[in-house]
Amino acid sequence: MTEDNAVRTPEEAPTDVALALSHVSKRFSLVTPGGGELKSTLLHPIRALRHRKPHAELWAVNDISIDVGRGEFFSIIGANGSGKSTLLRVMAGLSRPTTGTVTASGRLSTLLELGSGFHPNVSGRENAIINGLLIGMTRAEIEALLPGIVEFSGLREFIDQPMRTYSSGMYVRLGFAIAAFMEPEILLVDEILAVGDGRFQEKCYNHIASLRERGVTIVMVSHDLGAVQRFSTRAALMERGHMVMIGNPEEVVQQHLERLVNTSPEIRRAMHDAIEAVVLSSPEAQEKFEAELAANPAFHRALAQKQAREGLPGAVEEEFPDIARDDDLPPAP
Amino acid sequence: MSATPVAMRPPGSRRLLNSWQLLRALTTRDLRLRYQESVFGWAWSMLNPLSYGLVLYFAFGVILKAGFADYPLFLMAGVFPWFWFQGAVQQSTTVFVGNAGLLKKVRFPRLILPLSIVFGNTLQFLLTVPVLVVFLVASHKGAHWSWLVTLPMLFTIQIALMIGLCALLSSLTVFFRDLQHISEVILNLLFYATPILYDIERIPAKYRWVATINPYAALAEGWRGAIMSGHWPGEQIIPCLLWAGGFLVVGLWVFHRLEDSFADAV
Repeated sequence: MTEDNAVRTPEEAPTDVALALSHVSKRFSLVTPGGGELKSTLLHPIRALRHRKPHAELWAVNDISIDVGRGEFFSIIGANGSGKSTLLRVMAGLSRPTTGTVTASGRLSTLLELGSGFHPNVSGRENAIINGLLIGMTRAEIEALLPGIVEFSGLREFIDQPMRTYSSGMYVRLGFAIAAFMEPEILLVDEILAVGDGRFQEKCYNHIASLRERGVTIVMVSHDLGAVQRFSTRAALMERGHMVMIGNPEEVVQQHLERLVNTSPEIRRAMHDAIEAVVLSSPEAQEKFEAELAANPAFHRALAQKQAREGLPGAVEEEFPDIARDDDLPPAP
Repeated sequence: MSATPVAMRPPGSRRLLNSWQLLRALTTRDLRLRYQESVFGWAWSMLNPLSYGLVLYFAFGVILKAGFADYPLFLMAGVFPWFWFQGAVQQSTTVFVGNAGLLKKVRFPRLILPLSIVFGNTLQFLLTVPVLVVFLVASHKGAHWSWLVTLPMLFTIQIALMIGLCALLSSLTVFFRDLQHISEVILNLLFYATPILYDIERIPAKYRWVATINPYAALAEGWRGAIMSGHWPGEQIIPCLLWAGGFLVVGLWVFHRLEDSFADAV
C-alpha cells in the first residue's frame, strides 16, 4: 500500500477521498500602515472619502485543489510565508476559504499547536481534560484515556502538578499525548513534531505510523524534510500561495531544496561559505577545485566578461561567487 | 459554498454533552484561578459589591442625607444584581480577543466563551445572596410567597439579557477593539442612569426617557421591588422582556454572522 501511494501522481486522483479541496483560495486584507482608520475618518471625513482606496490584498492561498485519499500521509512543505499553515487552517475549518470548498469525510481533528489552551496555573490533569473537551471529546471518554496519556507522556506523578512547574519538554509531551490518543479519522498536524528530544520525536512518529496502519488519514505541514521523505506517501510544495508541485515526496523535497538555493540569498551565502571553507581546508582540495574551475566554460565566460568590464585580469578567488551565481554551484571537491 | 464539513461534528446529543462539560470546566477553572492565590478567596465575590454598596450608602445616605426608609437594603437590592450584570458585560468584551490562540488553533463551539463569562458571574452572584438575606433580616423584612415566581423570572430575564449583550459585544470587539473601552465608559454612566441609587419615581418627568432607553432600568426596578416588598413587577415586565429578548436575538444573530471570521481577525 505504501508502494502504491508513493508513486501516485496528482493525475491519479485517489479513489477513496478523505479530504477534498476544490479551488480553495484565501484572501487577507492587509492592514494599511498607520492604523487609525476610524480615527482619521472621523477627523477628516472629506479627505478620508476622497482618498478612499482599496485595501492591499494578499492571497495567502491561491486556487488550490487537492484530494487526499483515505489512509494517506500527505505532507505540505514550502518556505516560511508560503501559505502552508493558512491552508491547513482552512482544511481544519478554522478559517473560511474566500472561494472554493473543503469537504472532509470523517472525524477530523487538528494538532495545529501542542497544548493550545493549556493554563500554567492548572494541573496537567485538568489541562488534559479541558484540552480533550475542546477537541470535542466527552469527559468520560477523556477520563478513560487519561491513564494511557499519562503513560505515553511519561509524566507520572507530575500530572497533578500545575503546568508552570513543567519543563518545555514535559509540556510538549503532554500536548502530543492528548492529541495522539483522541482517535481521529483525519489528523491535521502543523509543525508540531519538531519539538521535544529526539527520543520523544521518534515515539511521536512511531505513534503516527501506527495511526496510519489503522487507516487514519494524516495531513502534515512541516519543515522537517527528512521526516517528510521518510513518512509521507505524497507531498506538495507551496510557494507564495500557489501549489507548485505535488507528487512523490523525494522529488518534491528535491525541488524544494533547489528552489530554496535559487531564491534565498542567505542560503546561497551559506553554501558559498561552506564550499569556500572546504576548498581552503587543504592544498589538494584547492588544487582540484582550481582544475575543475579551469575546465568549466562558464568560468572562462565570466572571466572574459569581467576583464572586458575592467580591463584587467581578476584573481580566481574573486571570480568564484560570480561563477556560482551563473550556474547553481561550482563543482565541489 | 460550504466551508464547514458536516461530518466532522459529533452527533447532536454527544455534542451537547461536550459543550456543557466544556462550559462547566472553563467556568470553574477561571473562577478558581481568579481567587486561587488570594487570602479571602471566594469572599471577594461578596466583598466587592458589598463594599461598593456601603460606600454609596455613606456618600448618599449619610453625608448627603438623600436616603429614605431602608436605604441600605434599597441600595444592596440594586447593587448586587447590577454587579452581576456589569461584571459579565465588561469581561465579555475581551473574551474572544483574549483567547486568540484557542480560536486560531482549535475548533470548538465559540459561543462557549461568552457563555462561560455569564455562567461564572452568575455563580458569583448566587454567592452574594446570603449577604442580601442579612440585609433583609437587619431591615426586619420577611420572605414573600411571590418570590417563588418573581425571582426565578427576573433571574431568567437577566441571564437572557446578559447572554445577548455578551454575545454581541464579544463578537463586535474582535473587529472594533475600542468597544472594550467604550463599553467600560457606558457601563459607568449607565450605573448612575439606572434607578439603583434612587427609584424611578424620583426621576423628573422630562428625564424619564433616560430610563426608557436604558436596557437595565426596568430590570433594576423589578429586582428591588421584588426583593424589598415582594412586589409583582406588573407592566414593568414588558420592557424587561423586550430588552432581553431583543438583545438575545440580535446578539446571537451578530455572533452567528461573525463567528467564522474570528480566527482570521483576532
